[in-house]
Amino acid sequence: MEEYTRDPCPWRIVDDCGGAFSMGAIGGSLFHGIKGFRNAPSGNYRRLIGSFVSLKEKAPITGGNFAVWGGLFSAIDCSLVYVRKKEDPWNSITSGALTGAILSVRSGTGAMVASAVIGGVLLAMIEGMGILFNKYAAEQFDPAKRMVFEEPPAPSAPSQGGGIFGNSQQYQ
Amino acid sequence: MDPDHQKKSSIFAPYSSRDPSMDVPVTAGQAGSIMSPYLNFDPAFISPGGDSEFIFPEGANRQRGRLELSFSQIGGSVFAGGAVGGLNGLYSGFKETKAAQLTGAVRRTQMLNFIAKQGASSAQTLGVVALMYSIFGVVLSMGRGVEDELNTITAATATGLLYKCSAGWKRCVRGGGIGFGLATAYCLYTSRDRLKDMFSKD
Repeated sequence: MEEYTRDPCPWRIVDDCGGAFSMGAIGGSLFHGIKGFRNAPSGNYRRLIGSFVSLKEKAPITGGNFAVWGGLFSAIDCSLVYVRKKEDPWNSITSGALTGAILSVRSGTGAMVASAVIGGVLLAMIEGMGILFNKYAAEQFDPAKRMVFEEPPAPSAPSQGGGIFGNSQQYQ
Repeated sequence: MDPDHQKKSSIFAPYSSRDPSMDVPVTAGQAGSIMSPYLNFDPAFISPGGDSEFIFPEGANRQRGRLELSFSQIGGSVFAGGAVGGLNGLYSGFKETKAAQLTGAVRRTQMLNFIAKQGASSAQTLGVVALMYSIFGVVLSMGRGVEDELNTITAATATGLLYKCSAGWKRCVRGGGIGFGLATAYCLYTSRDRLKDMFSKD
């Protein structure tokens, strides 16, 4: 269902990049705000100033790093969709691993493998959680399970005090 | 049939009516008339205005609201900033390396540094501006419950004020003014038909 609420593929890259940028910038402003507050010299006013300066300088950088990750991830995802002609969790997992590998390409083979494993495992966990949630959410619509609650009334044993609506037995 | 029709779908219109696989008839056709006369009618009779040709999911609007559009806008700003900054970096890198008379691998690395750094910095700047604008816009449109030009202008002015709020009063006000001016120009441009109507009636 999630795939139908998102943009079609080439534009999904822009969308994901924006989402990642906002996430990184908002999260980064919280993180760097707190960090700047703690690292500033004593005095409440100075702490506020330090918090603000740190936030102003570092939050956009965090946002930019997130945006690069999200954009590259989505670009690889869309390329995989185009090549494989299907959308499944393996696309996300592969593109997570490839993104991790590409972004650490300057740090050598070992770092690339480590980043790829981290990216792949992270995305596999996210996708797995999504599938699990879907499964639990879909269970309440399972007709096999619903039969239990809607037992057909037993045709036997007509009660004595039956009104115009049939017998007044309670089933719940 | 012109060659334009043979293209299945373009990148700007992925669900085009020219795409033959999207061309599903709205009437039941011959099969429907065989099965039942009730199936064979023009659906336009149901909705005389021809308004509801599209089925919208429950709770969805005809147009996307600010929140749904905001991520695309922010991402587009990041991309645009990266492209502009990258081109700028290419230009200044070209100039600087020529002035410093660098050649070969050193020049290449220096060019890459210029492009990557200027691209990243302008992408961050534009992205942060777009993020502030989107947050203000979403908060305004949700708080007021309406979606109009006042939201746009207020959000843009507040963005300008906030972005330059640490650079002193004068620059802060100037930033707000720039935001106000851009938003007003945008609003005048998008509602020019309505304005024309308004002035022609007088």
